[in-house]
This record gives sequence, C-alpha cells and structure tokens, in this order.
Amino acid sequence: MVTKVLCVAEKPSIAKAVANHLSGNQVTTRNVTGNVYTKNYEFHYNFATWGNCDVVMTSVAGHLLSHDFASQYRSWRSCDPSALFEATIDTFVEDGKKAISKNIEVQARYAQILYIWTDCDREGENIGSEIRDVATKINQRLRDPGKTVRARFSNIERAHIIDAARNPVPLDDAQANAVASRIELDLRIGASFTRNLTLSIQHMLQGEEKRVVSYGSCQFPTLGFVVERYFRVRNFLPEPFWTIKVMHEKEGIKVNFRWARNHLFDRMVVVILFERCLQAKTAKVTKVSTKPTSKWKPLPLTTVELQKCGSRFLRMDSHRVMQLAEQLYQRGWISYPRTETDQFDRGMDLRALVQKQIQGGPWRQFAQGLLDGGFSAPRNGRNNDKAHPPIHPVNFVDPSVLTHEEQRVHEFVVRRFLACCSQDARGSKTDISILYGMETFSTSGLVVLERNYLDVYPYDKWTSSQDLPNFREGEVFEPAEARIHDGKTSPPGYLTEPELISLMDVNGIGTDATMAEHIAKIKERAYVETRPRGRQPRRDDEDVSEEEQPFKPEVARGRGRGRTAGRGRGGRGGGNARGGGNSGVQEFIPTTLGVALIEGYENMGFEISLAKPFLRKEMELKMKAICEGRKTGREVVQETIDQYRAVYARTQQRLDVLRASVQRYVVAGNG
Amino acid sequence: MATTASTTEVKNAIGQYLISKNVPPTQSWLRDFLPSIRLNTPIVALQKTALFRILCTDLRSSVSQASATVLPSDISAPEVKERRLDGAITVQVLDIEDIGHSRWSQFENLEAVERGEMTKGREIIRVADEETNTDPNHTATGETSSGPHKLLLQDAKGTKVYAFEMEAVSGVGVQQLFIGAKLVLRDALVARGVVMLQVRSVEVLGGKVEAWDKKWRGERKEMLKRKAGMQEGEGG
Repeated sequence: MVTKVLCVAEKPSIAKAVANHLSGNQVTTRNVTGNVYTKNYEFHYNFATWGNCDVVMTSVAGHLLSHDFASQYRSWRSCDPSALFEATIDTFVEDGKKAISKNIEVQARYAQILYIWTDCDREGENIGSEIRDVATKINQRLRDPGKTVRARFSNIERAHIIDAARNPVPLDDAQANAVASRIELDLRIGASFTRNLTLSIQHMLQGEEKRVVSYGSCQFPTLGFVVERYFRVRNFLPEPFWTIKVMHEKEGIKVNFRWARNHLFDRMVVVILFERCLQAKTAKVTKVSTKPTSKWKPLPLTTVELQKCGSRFLRMDSHRVMQLAEQLYQRGWISYPRTETDQFDRGMDLRALVQKQIQGGPWRQFAQGLLDGGFSAPRNGRNNDKAHPPIHPVNFVDPSVLTHEEQRVHEFVVRRFLACCSQDARGSKTDISILYGMETFSTSGLVVLERNYLDVYPYDKWTSSQDLPNFREGEVFEPAEARIHDGKTSPPGYLTEPELISLMDVNGIGTDATMAEHIAKIKERAYVETRPRGRQPRRDDEDVSEEEQPFKPEVARGRGRGRTAGRGRGGRGGGNARGGGNSGVQEFIPTTLGVALIEGYENMGFEISLAKPFLRKEMELKMKAICEGRKTGREVVQETIDQYRAVYARTQQRLDVLRASVQRYVVAGNG
Repeated sequence: MATTASTTEVKNAIGQYLISKNVPPTQSWLRDFLPSIRLNTPIVALQKTALFRILCTDLRSSVSQASATVLPSDISAPEVKERRLDGAITVQVLDIEDIGHSRWSQFENLEAVERGEMTKGREIIRVADEETNTDPNHTATGETSSGPHKLLLQDAKGTKVYAFEMEAVSGVGVQQLFIGAKLVLRDALVARGVVMLQVRSVEVLGGKVEAWDKKWRGERKEMLKRKAGMQEGEGG
C-alpha cells in the first residue's frame, strides 16, 4: 500500500515552493473550502524513509490555535485583574482559522505520516505542535513514534529542500513548550497589568488617549530606554573644556598634533601646561612608527545586524526590513532571516554561493574576482544558535522580479555576503609622537593600500588621510603654531533605532525575532513618536566633543508616525508599512504618556522596576532554559507568575505615585 | 626576662618613627595618644598603630609646624613662574576632582550607581559599542579611566595649595584617595602656584579624616551638578 503523507507548512508560499521542488513541478492543486489563500498540493514522491508516497502538501496561516481566558473572565470588570494570574485559559480555533483547521483534520484522517514544514524556529516548533494536536484529534495513530516528524530547512532552494525532505527529525517539544509558556505568561501578565493600568488611569486621560493603556513585559523596558535617553538629553548641561593644539609645517604640509590628554575641564591647569610648552620652545620627536594596519571585513549577517544596518544604511525601520527579508526568504532568494548565528559552518560550500552571484548585478565582477583567487574565509563571530546559518543569498535573482524595496534589502544581503568572503582592507599607519615641554602630542597618517572588501561593501568607509611629511625619531623642531583651543560638551542625540536595537540586544530583552515587533508596538501604542534626525556632521578630530555626536537638527521636526504593529506570526508577509524612509535616521521621542508611565513605575521604587530590563531578561533566559531541557514550562510559568504577582501587589500599593506622574506629564502637560 | 618599656622610651620610639615617616607629631598629640595604648605591646605594633591614627587626624593639630615640614606661605602666588619645594613636606587632601571628564558625566555615573545599574546581576548597559574594527589589536573599552586629577592640599600650618596630577600617580583617584589623606611632597615642582605632582616627587601615605570624607562624599553629587551648570569663568 502506498503511504499517505500529509505535509503542512507555515505559509502558502512555502507549501507551494516545497511541493514544486519535490514533485518536479508535477503538482495537482486543489482549493480549500472556506479559504482563498490556502491550497492543497497533491503529488507523488519517494521519501527515502517511507518509499513511494501519495503526498498532500498544505499550509496554515501562522498559529492555528488561539488562547484567551474562559468566558467568565473576559469582561474587564468581571474580576479583579490579579485573578488572571490563576484564571483558566481556553484554547480554541478562532473563526478565521476554522477552514484551515478543518482542512488539516480532513487530510489527516487517512494519513500515515504527518510531516511538519513550519519555519525552523521556536514559534515554528510551537505551530508544528498545534498542527499535531489538531491532526491527532482525528487520527490517533499519528501520535505513534515516528509518525509525526518535521523538516529542518533554512532556505527554499531546491537542493536544500530535497535534502531536508530526506532527513526528517522529531518535533522539538522543549521549544514548543517554551513558546507555550511564553504565550501563557504574556497573556496572564499582559492582561492583568493592562487592565489594572488602564482602569487606574483611564479617567485621567482625554480624547484620543482615552483608550486601553497596555502593558507588555518587553515593551516597557524598551520604552524605558527611550525615556531614559530623552531625559539625559533634556537635562544635559554643557561644559566648557580646553585643549592645546600644535601645528607644524614641513615639506609644504601642515601637520596637526593632538594632545595626549585630549582635553581638560580646568582652564587654569591648561594655561599652566601651555605656558610650560612655550617655555620649552622646541619639541622633540619621540616616536615614529609605521605599521601595517587593516580594516576588518564585516561579520556574517545576523538578524540584529540586519535590522541595525537597515536602519542606518537603508533608512528603513527594522520592522519593514524584516518584512522584506521574510518576503525574500519565502521566494527563495535568501536564507532564513531570523538567526543569531554569525559564523558560517565549515562544511558550507561558500564558493558555490559566490558562483551564483556572477550571473549579474553590479557585484558580478567582484564575485568573479573572489572565485579567481580573492576568496578568503569569513570571520567567525561568537554566536551560533545551531538552528540557522547567517543570512546569505541563496540564489541569483534578476532584480526586475523584485520590488524596489526588496531590491535594496536583497542588495545589502548580497554585498554583505560577498564582503564576508573577501579579504580585509589593508593599509599602512604611521604614528608620530612628540614631547613638547612635558606634554605629549601625536598625529597619525593612514595610507589605504588595498581596498579589498570595501569595493563591494560601500557601507564602510576607510580613506587615506593626507600624506605626512617625514619625521625622524630624535628630531627637534620649533612648532609653527601652538595655541589653546576651547570647546563645549554637547548632549547625546535621542535614541535612534539602531541604538535602541543594540541596547535591547546587549541587555538581553527581545530575541532576534521579536525586537522589531516590540519597537513597532511602542510606536503603535503612541508611547513614542519618531522623527528624522538631521544628517550628523562628520566627526571632526579637531572638534571632539565629550558626548556622542553633536546634535544639530537640520531637518524640520516632522512627525513620522509609526507603522502598524507586526502581526506576529498570524498574517501573510506583506504589510503596507512604509517605514521611516526619510533622509535621516529615525530618532525616538517619548510621548507625554510614555514618559508618565515610565516615570510613574520608576518612582514606585521597586528594586525591580517594570521599566527596567531585568524581569524581561530573566524571562528570556528561562525560555532558553526550557528549550535546553533545564527547566519545564510549568516551573517557569509558576516562578514568573510569582515574581510578577509580587510586583503587581506593590503596584497596587503605590498607585498614587503612578497617578501623580500621569497628572504631571499628561494632564498638566496638555494644558 | 621581659621588661616593660618605660613611658618615655615608648614615647621616643613612636616619635622617632613618625618623624621618619614625615608626620612629626606634636607633643600634645603624643600625650593624648599614649593613654590609649598598652605599654607592653611590642613596639613595632605600637608604631604602626600610631601611624595609622595620626593619618586619620587633622594635620593642623597633630603634626609639628616646624618650617621644614610646611609649605612656603606664598606658595600659591601665580606671579612665580616656577619654583621647587626643597625637602619633604607633608600635606593633607581637602578636595579632589577629576578634570579629565565633564562633571555632568561624573554626575550621571553616580546617579546610575544609585539606581542600582552597576549592581552585579542588575547591570544596565547604556552605551552600545559600535564595532570599530580598524585594527585587530584595538579593543573596545568598556570602562573609561579616571583623571587626571586636581587636588586641594593643606599643610600643618593651614596653608592651602592646588596640585595637578601631571602623570598618573598610583593611589590618586576619587574612589581610592580619601579626604584627609596624607601625601609627602619631595622636591616638588610648582608652576604658577600649582604643585605639579609626579611619581618621583609624591608619596601617598594614605589615611582619612572620617568626618570630612563622609561630608564630602555625601555632597559630591550636588557639587558636580552645580559645577556643571556654571558658566565659563565661574569657579573652575
């Protein structure tokens, strides 16, 4: 008897691609009752494990199951919000997914094997387990060992898919459980705190703001970073500083020497030191050294890095970049865009991937150059999530089949990959130090000898400085010019998206997959607004200021509205987000409500404030522990609920502090 | 046969020791110190105790004001381009400032510590380093070093003078050096009324005047904020 295999992917596009690859494009397509997008693809295939099979490949549309509190708890006034920590949660199929769920049931009834083809990450594992739950309700035998399996794949390229099809693995229940725990925690904590928060302050808000004031355990710390930076900028006090500049002209070249002390914040001391320099009259060259130097090629591309670069170089917000990357992945152009791995597996055939890029595109010749001997193994970063490789191009694609925005993201991915496979840029650096009086000054010159990766990766800059005249160690000269120069410290800028992503990453909140969503959320909930920052002036060594780049808003204050929130894993890839596609990088300004919330919670004085990242960071670490089998889902849910329950109780005691904050920033602020 | 040293012998031994350490005690200080010790304690231990104690006192009342051990009274004269201080002069620290970093940034750091952001396990990283990768040997610095420092010193007579840490002197820092700590200046260079501290001309004896240090540290945050808000020309 021919084995019947039911394959289920996460999205229709994946199902179609896999079906076509496996069947050699010999596919019968059938409609699914009640859903226009989902199709059943019927074909024959010889799976090594089960021999000749009749295969039906279909898909879901993200999560099949929904979770909500039992009906008696659903209304906001039905119970005290804290009851939600323990209230029963119902799992059900919502109306919009009923047709898809029914389709699974029908197809599963006569299947011998259930083969899960959801995306290979935690969410995908969880969706896979949902599919299994729905299927096994109808067909118990699919619970037998080896009857439900899943495919491990990182891109939609044909050979890769066929290879994956031959090597099924079991569903990872640990990961599925981690997600289930997270869903439960987000529901319980999110709902209880949101209800409490809204009911406590809603009456104080007016107009457009009189709506749900929501709490999310990741959004708040993210918002916290934005607010903290906002106050740092607003409270900043500029201070004068003084430095000594020495200039000498030799061989027709003016050389500026920089003070080893950089600058000091005490004028009297600088004047005294300056006088002693002048008193010495001459300066002596103490060191002349010329050494080879290099600018390292970039690391292999991770999600976080893609988001940061997308913000910085492509002027697209992280959410939009991820949507586009997802589209490119679904159509088979790039590998899975959710990865923390920044090292390429040694066994990977990178030259074959480079080979694909010689077929066209502005990088065609560079790619050929790599194959002709310029190839160099990529650097290894420190991270490997063991699930997916770094983001890389999988095929050659004629740009005309991509939308303009897709082209830009695709181009970045290709250039980054080719840069990884190039040599570092090489140069020669000359450092010269002089002793003038008792003070040391130095200068340096750079000659770029080989651009190498820079030729394909225009996002990095490295240029030769002006030539330096020849100096000899021991040489003595009288500087042409020495003077005291003053400056003032200037405030940091408001947080930009790449900075915010970095902060989230470095402080352990949000995973690569979710960071962009959390940022989108705080925009959607009007806790922050974005506006383009004016082009930052090139950092001139002559004018080093104390803080980060000087902030000079040249662009008029626009009001870039945030885009709609991410739809999680529910919807199809395409949204209509335009992102902050302006001339400047977007910077985040908190709204009065955002400030009120953060300040309110901070002033409650918890050791563990909701506005700080610790709680969320701990939750992320616990998720990891579940995946690695060190903790069970139940344990983690219980521990975390207990933690938050304590926080909830304290919030209740100090609600007056929160209200005072809202009063101060929102109500009074709107006057 | 053990002999208990006489009071006079002990007093001399301690006195000589402290003189050798450049903190020659006044007679009244010695008189006040003696009742607090047991004469049959080994003399070496008594000497160490005496040193420790005197380093925690106000020089003006505990140390002899013989001219050899004090600053010239016109030390701060800005008209004098340069002079050298002969011999060894002992001073105490009344104030210390990090003039290499803006007061505002020092203020923000103190606030971060207060918010608990430096506590182990609860650290918040506020600045995301961008990878600069211009040199394989370049490491991203997580911590910024402190200094150089400007100090306000006072001798046993009460004369005050400013000092600038020309080269990094170990033991000099806002966290490591306390208010009331003692330094010995040896053949130090003075430029325009400011002592130029160098490794070869200063010895950090240490010590602290508890009451002064506590007050100073308690007020430091406010002081930093106030100084940051001042315009050029005021204070500084």
